[in-house]
Amino acid sequence: MAFRNVNRRCHMGLQQLSSLASIGRTLLGPVKSYKFIVDVNTSESVLTCSAVRLLESLDLTSAVGQLLNETIQAQNKDYKTGMTTLLFLVGAWSSAVLECLQQNVPFSLIVSVMSEGLNSCSEKIQCLQLSVDDLYKGSDSVPMHFGSSSLGPQIIENKTPGIESNSFLNPLVHILKEVPVSKEESVPEGLHSHQASPCDPHNRYLNSHLCTADYRTPSLVEPVGNKTMPVLPGSSLIASSCNKRTRLTHSRYFNTPGKSHCSLQVDNFGGPPTGPAACPYEFNDFGQLAMALSHGNQSSMKLVHDIVRCQQQVADHTGSFQFNIAEVLTCCLPGLAEHYSCVCPGYITLVSPEKATVTKKLQDRPLQILLVDGDLTEKYRHLGFNRPSNVRIISENVGLQESNSESLWINYVLDILIQAKVNLVLVKGNVCESLMERCILNNILIINPVTHNVLLAFGKGTGIQLVTYLSQVNSHCVGSGVWVDFWRTGDLSTMELDNKVPISIKAEGIHLVTAVLSSTVTSKMQVIEDRFWTCAYRLHHALTDQKVFPGGGAVELLCLSHLKKLEEQSLKQADDKPSGDFYMSSCWLTKSFTQYKPVVLKALASGWHQYLSRVMCNTAHYASEFEASTSIEHHLKKAADCGSPSAYILKEFNKGDKVMVDFGLLTKREEAVKVYDNVTPKVEAWRRALDLVLLVLQTDAEIITGPKRNQLLNSHGSSEFIFL
Amino acid sequence: MGGYVRTTSQSSALLGGLSITHPVLKVLTASVQNHISRFSDCGLFTAILCCSLVENFQRINFAACTVTKISRHLLSLCTDYLKSEACGCRISVDFDSIKTLLSLVHSVLASKPACMLNKTEANHLSTLVLKAFLLTIPHTVETNVVLGKCVIVPVKDKRVMDSTVFPGLLIEIPESQLARTFPVIRVSSSTIKMALFCISLSGDLSNIGEGTVIVHHGISLEVAVLDQLLNLGKQLINDQVGLVVCQKVIHPSLKQYLEEHRVITIDRVGVSMMEPLSQLTGSQPIAALHSVSPTCYGSLKDLRTESFVSKNFLHLIPNDTLVCSLILCNRNEMAWDELKLACQTAEHVLQLTIKQPLALLGGGCTETHLASYIRHKSFTLPASVLKAIDCSRTQYQLVADAFSRSLECVACCLEHDDGEILTDMVYGHFWSVQSGFPSDCNWSDLVLKCGCGICSNQQNLNWTVLQSQCIPFTP
Repeated sequence: MAFRNVNRRCHMGLQQLSSLASIGRTLLGPVKSYKFIVDVNTSESVLTCSAVRLLESLDLTSAVGQLLNETIQAQNKDYKTGMTTLLFLVGAWSSAVLECLQQNVPFSLIVSVMSEGLNSCSEKIQCLQLSVDDLYKGSDSVPMHFGSSSLGPQIIENKTPGIESNSFLNPLVHILKEVPVSKEESVPEGLHSHQASPCDPHNRYLNSHLCTADYRTPSLVEPVGNKTMPVLPGSSLIASSCNKRTRLTHSRYFNTPGKSHCSLQVDNFGGPPTGPAACPYEFNDFGQLAMALSHGNQSSMKLVHDIVRCQQQVADHTGSFQFNIAEVLTCCLPGLAEHYSCVCPGYITLVSPEKATVTKKLQDRPLQILLVDGDLTEKYRHLGFNRPSNVRIISENVGLQESNSESLWINYVLDILIQAKVNLVLVKGNVCESLMERCILNNILIINPVTHNVLLAFGKGTGIQLVTYLSQVNSHCVGSGVWVDFWRTGDLSTMELDNKVPISIKAEGIHLVTAVLSSTVTSKMQVIEDRFWTCAYRLHHALTDQKVFPGGGAVELLCLSHLKKLEEQSLKQADDKPSGDFYMSSCWLTKSFTQYKPVVLKALASGWHQYLSRVMCNTAHYASEFEASTSIEHHLKKAADCGSPSAYILKEFNKGDKVMVDFGLLTKREEAVKVYDNVTPKVEAWRRALDLVLLVLQTDAEIITGPKRNQLLNSHGSSEFIFL
Repeated sequence: MGGYVRTTSQSSALLGGLSITHPVLKVLTASVQNHISRFSDCGLFTAILCCSLVENFQRINFAACTVTKISRHLLSLCTDYLKSEACGCRISVDFDSIKTLLSLVHSVLASKPACMLNKTEANHLSTLVLKAFLLTIPHTVETNVVLGKCVIVPVKDKRVMDSTVFPGLLIEIPESQLARTFPVIRVSSSTIKMALFCISLSGDLSNIGEGTVIVHHGISLEVAVLDQLLNLGKQLINDQVGLVVCQKVIHPSLKQYLEEHRVITIDRVGVSMMEPLSQLTGSQPIAALHSVSPTCYGSLKDLRTESFVSKNFLHLIPNDTLVCSLILCNRNEMAWDELKLACQTAEHVLQLTIKQPLALLGGGCTETHLASYIRHKSFTLPASVLKAIDCSRTQYQLVADAFSRSLECVACCLEHDDGEILTDMVYGHFWSVQSGFPSDCNWSDLVLKCGCGICSNQQNLNWTVLQSQCIPFTP
């Protein structure tokens, strides 16, 4: 059974795609609106503000919906960032392609021109790439700029003729315009960003934990970009004084110029590297890079930054440093205020009160550890072990029963644990209840379930092997030098949440770092965790790629200007003989190539154009997409007039406080931190988005197989089916 | 409807996914699938030709036996022509240069739009497939040429451009194993002994046969089997085996025992890896616990680890290799499946060229050329032949016309953008033009290049609309 879903004028698949993708429009950019997804059957609801979670929670039964979901999930699996861009561009490009179809542009031509166009753009934008090394080697080309001390000159600059209309480029105008009228509801981030205030409490925890963990070298050179180095009591005083001001001061974005703490912050944060020697690469903690990649999630990025510092301090003992994302964990503490979020070395997890009592007995002494890569139950067998069905066990003693074998097993296991002097067992899977109780009685702490990478990290750190069965235990499998303790808040108090107690497990030579995430709103927990991972992966990708793009729409703007150039070229070529050698199914298309090429290129450009203007609207700097769009056009014109658009864009970017599309509302003069974008994830998101749109475009029939097809026959759409 | 979605542009995947009930369609799909299983490629061609033959023959409404006889004769005409030196639509594949081979691979890959390859990616992959194929050809040719094997190693969710070819075999291993693989036990500096198991070493009793086994309480079959396994392990260590590979699962205890004695173990490699592994190392897959004899062992030159796009592999380097690994990447699972199929098809097509180093023109030119040849032949056929198949010339010509139309119909399917098809009266090639052209225009302004790309509009080739009534000519 199949139905054709193609009709020249209205391609069903593309229409579905465009309407599905449009739900993600408000998720674009640093300022996101939350969405509730409510299941009418169960009345369960989910709070979300990310494309992945949104699509995951939707009931996507259509083939196109599933393809979209798979594409988004694949991007998420690989990069953890760029999914919203992907979703948006899928929507924008599918509607642009629909428009092309209305103008009778042949399918193969759309496919060919669009994919070649994207290729060409991807190559073009390489000239904008900034090397991460260069950013830190004291080069002046792209240093961090921080607002100058006075507002005057810049305002004057705004008033000079020619730049006056240039509100797009000059964020200062926006500041002046936006600050009084900002609405909290349009800026949800602002409501929850206490932790973004200059005296982030979690840094204090980090420091205190670092101290307790004995990882801190006393005379460590303070990393550039560390904002919390002033004496802690002092800074909290400043913070409290700030808090007495308008509510908006909670958000760093809305600080009005000229506050005392701001200048202090600038001094600490903003000291640009004086030279390569003063800021050796090894000592850099990527603080500025991290902030530039935060895209409005400063609070999460601060945690990531703390993790880098934490890993760095561990690495200082061992030598080379590398941001290792595989050794980063999260532990969610719902119910705790958000400012408790912090970073701690070691493995933090929640345990039951019974286990907490064992923890109490075990703390303050080195423990022996065992790592079990499986379940700890009698019936558990490793993967691939098939139980024979035709074996019967007979017994001459009537008294022996099934239940007996379990208690025998428990005794056996317990013997092994006691003889090997194991105090702590990390188990990947389930643990037999009675064994757990017996262990608690014997002061053996069993933690489960523990993810595989935690087991591996402990295995690597303590140099021991993982076991599947306790019968395997020998001297190679028991590690030592492990410590357990309660996780403590800043004032060193332990706590209990929903009948669970957070504890921390540390070992010498182990590099695990846990980000403890907390939120009083339980339903926001997932959002916070996702954001954290997005930030962590952004930094990870920047360091793996060793390059970043200038952010704030610079890349998209260059694509637009490049496409415009291509479009003009193709118009000029229209009269000439086509250059031939195109990758197309039919040859005559090469002829009409010149006729339709500008239309298709325009369609491709419209995707980025919509993207930019949507971001600009979402950041609340522009009242309407029209206004944003005018601003983009203005820039494109200036870039074209300039001769070299990339040079123009880089120049504008390098003006420091003048970011193109002011992504993170970051362009306050106090903290005009650059905005950077990841290179590979961004280009990949584009490519995946276009691939999906073009794939759906080239799909002409949907074949449904399987037992459910009979249901479909009775549905209202059955007239559209063709039977095989 | 909430199930698994697959997009495909290949008949093998498409027909495999269909549930067909109509008997005629069943016959059709079965024959197409049979064709695909033998030749991998051209399933769609077979299906379309088949359908249009049925359609066109029905239209002329002759007795079935007449149509059968004549069309059999037509088919033999075609195959004789294609086999003859005079054939105008075939080219010989030159193994001295890679040009023809490369374009052969390229046309297989590029004709599958659901792989979502762009031009650079298609070129890159064509080169890789060809490279992999060349690695499987033996250096010295004896009477029996046995080609090696190219193993496709999946790396999903990565860029196509990351794909690459390695000589030897790559087996993915978890990162945790990477740390504890070395140093390897070597028999000599360039020999590592290897044992290959195709039975499960998981320690279960899956093959105890039918009936019930009664065991006394206190006796554990599991322990007994594990003891056997550990004895096996002892034997392997005594025999200085450095690498143990198992198709299925190895019991964790045996693994631990072997690894503590520095033997590298890899399990769950899957059935598809067994043949290349055995070919690569010369080891005999061991199928029973008690039949391990030193003659079963194979050998390797070296063993390395490779890290590749965030995955870790054990690289098995043989003494002389006919086995290579194509690490194939594509952005998502579905596109990867599609790409894998396309690469396998391309590889198979290359293998077939060794048997018969000939290729036919693509882009519809072979079909239109053949159609005009048939038409021409039907006019010049000697009366004796007509007598032999017992039909009149008109009958023969009508069937031949239906036959030619069917061939042309396949060619027309190549045009996806509502263009119109022309053919030339000199070579009988395939030319597509935009539809709706004025009737009085100059053909050579419209056309650009023929389907296969050999002819161009520079030559004055006397074009005409395909399937319009025209005088037969000798192509």
